[in-house]
Amino acid sequence: MSLRFQRLLLILFTLIIILSAVLLILYNTKENVSYFYTPSEIINSDITVNKLIRIGGFVENNSFNKVSSSSFKFRITDEKASILVSYNGILPDLFREGQGAVIEGAFDNNNIFNASNVLAKHDENYMPASIKKDLKDSGYWNKKYK
Amino acid sequence: MSSLVGFLSLILAIGINFYLLLSRYILRFKNQRFNFLIRLSSLLTLLSFFSLMYAYVISDFSNYNVFQNSHSNKPLIYKISGTWGNHEGSMLLWLSILSIFSFFFSFTKNTEDNFQKLTLIIQTFLHILFGLFIVFTSNPFLVNSILVNEGLGLNPILQDPGLAVHPPILYAGYVGYSIVFSIAVAGLFQNSDDEWLHVAKKWSLISWTFLTGGIALGSYWAYYELGWGGWWFWDPVENVSLMPWIAGLALVHSLMMVRGEQAIKKWIVFLSILCFSLSVFGTFLVRSGILTSVHSFASDASRGIFILLIFFIVTGFGFLVFLLKEPKKSNSLNLLFINKVSALVINNILMIIATFTILLGTIYPIIIEVLYNKRISVGGPYFNSTVIPIMIPGFLLMSIAPILSWQTNKIKNSKKYVLGLIILSFLVLIQSYFLDFNSWGFVGLLLGLWIILASIIAIFSSYNFKFNFKFFQIINPHIAHIGVGIAIVGITCSSVLQNELDFNLNVGDEFNVDGKRVLFKEIETTNQTNFQSLRGKFLFDIKKDQSQKIEAGKNYYPVSKMITSEAGILHKWDRDIYFILGDQKNNEWYIKVLINPFVSFIWLGVIIMMYSGLIAVTRR
Repeated sequence: MSLRFQRLLLILFTLIIILSAVLLILYNTKENVSYFYTPSEIINSDITVNKLIRIGGFVENNSFNKVSSSSFKFRITDEKASILVSYNGILPDLFREGQGAVIEGAFDNNNIFNASNVLAKHDENYMPASIKKDLKDSGYWNKKYK
Repeated sequence: MSSLVGFLSLILAIGINFYLLLSRYILRFKNQRFNFLIRLSSLLTLLSFFSLMYAYVISDFSNYNVFQNSHSNKPLIYKISGTWGNHEGSMLLWLSILSIFSFFFSFTKNTEDNFQKLTLIIQTFLHILFGLFIVFTSNPFLVNSILVNEGLGLNPILQDPGLAVHPPILYAGYVGYSIVFSIAVAGLFQNSDDEWLHVAKKWSLISWTFLTGGIALGSYWAYYELGWGGWWFWDPVENVSLMPWIAGLALVHSLMMVRGEQAIKKWIVFLSILCFSLSVFGTFLVRSGILTSVHSFASDASRGIFILLIFFIVTGFGFLVFLLKEPKKSNSLNLLFINKVSALVINNILMIIATFTILLGTIYPIIIEVLYNKRISVGGPYFNSTVIPIMIPGFLLMSIAPILSWQTNKIKNSKKYVLGLIILSFLVLIQSYFLDFNSWGFVGLLLGLWIILASIIAIFSSYNFKFNFKFFQIINPHIAHIGVGIAIVGITCSSVLQNELDFNLNVGDEFNVDGKRVLFKEIETTNQTNFQSLRGKFLFDIKKDQSQKIEAGKNYYPVSKMITSEAGILHKWDRDIYFILGDQKNNEWYIKVLINPFVSFIWLGVIIMMYSGLIAVTRR
């Protein structure tokens, strides 16, 4: 193999890698990105059943229902709309009524949101920036939350 | 009192650095005491840090920062580590580590005097930037305006031994790249010989080793802390530590080429600047709070803007010097189809692509929000299906790279490797046939084992075994790659073969886990120094005489009114049995048990990589 041919092979190889990386990125940003909604946005949108999304809001007061030691039902709200969520597993330590939470999952045929993952806010003062913004916009921002 | 000492010494340290910067490059008068002043300012910064620590230890609530983040009945270790368990203190730790690096660098011998001073001047420049950032936006020495005799307490999640070790070591890695950055920029200015490449190599290896250790400690902490998504979650905060790590790995490998006199100086300088830029960028992403992360703590937008400004100054300065003062022409590369140089080049390209893929995934949500006002989250699946495939050719190359030659296309003993690979593929195929076949599991296991095997073949067929230090230096690249192989096996097995079991149990029940009988012995509540604990106690393998105890439960911290969950983990060499105590209803407890095979291999692999990092520092 001539030196020139060897380098050509190398460059081709590199280009193939870069191209496949770009394709991978493009494909995966389409497939593996989950959109984030607030309950009132969901009411007005046309989300299909079984599509993986995230919902951010607060756990509605007096909505929490312990079906068994590992199965729970509660509503998540942004004060304008609320969504019924069902979850099997262990809830995060900071999960409680009136506190912010992000729920990941999908709607089933009965319009119940089946959560695969429940994330509660991390400390008393912390709240995901996106929820904070929505609360501020909707005027339900409580000064107590930092 | 200690707060005042701390604040004044911080101001003085910044002042000295100002003086050094001015005297050397603007007023240009001779300064005989250059090194002395550098060390003095470093020590003053440390003094400032230790005064803050002292305020935490004696619970001096006249300091606002201590009041906000500490409580007098906390155990001593969390008072000490609480110093950096908050934004202000952690930035001061950042600055202190920067000073420590300058301090040690001022003692390095064998470097040209001018070059050393120039490097240190760039360090003082960075010190001033971050020092001003602390003074103006995150001052940990503010006086508490009200008189109180009790503090608000440290976030209970942070009350963990992990906090004592993970941030300092991680920061040592991040900030270590500042010295690499300074060396590279100084090298550009001096533009004389290649001495700086050797210096840069040593310091980038040190930083990389620290960064590896810091990430691994954080990862281990997240593994046993519930709610942080396991040892790796592709969380933004984790990603920003991985980016400089991969770029740093590329840098270390590029610097290897110096030995083969194939140094591509431009590329090395680029990587050095990139590593530190990514470190500062990571600080910005974490501290500004623009990213939603499970690890985010207090954040403040004005700080974010300040760090963003520092980021632009540092990166802009670095890359501007890089463009204006191009390094002298380096030797042309001896690029063949498959020799050491081309392997290193491909490895570097792959690592940079991987870094940018992670960067893209991490900031993609921000871009989408700015452009479309839609909020999205990019999680594990994206990263798993982009970064891993990109890295696979690199892993393949890695197994044979150390034995490639610099000059020719020949591979020594190539038949042995081919034979080894065929036998190994066959074995792994049989193994995965008996377990559930999973394509990722197959690829990961094969790659990991192949890297280990190829490195062992290389060690035994290319070198004469001698039991001395020199020998260990020579085989060090292979050892490092064996570490990577072991870690890959651990990662693959623990993620693909993980087994999850759920139980609803009453106290006194027996159940089966992993083929062993387990007894749910009791639920116990006790009062500890600053929390109440609830523990489910289990006896694992009750048929044997020495059954092992596992405790899983929750702690309640009255000061901050928070509950944390504590997993009970039984470590074995080949698997971890991971108990989580869930909720209860009518005295029936929900218990989740995870069986994580070969998790210990991840940590073993990382320890081996760090060992090789240290050995490589000693080799010139």
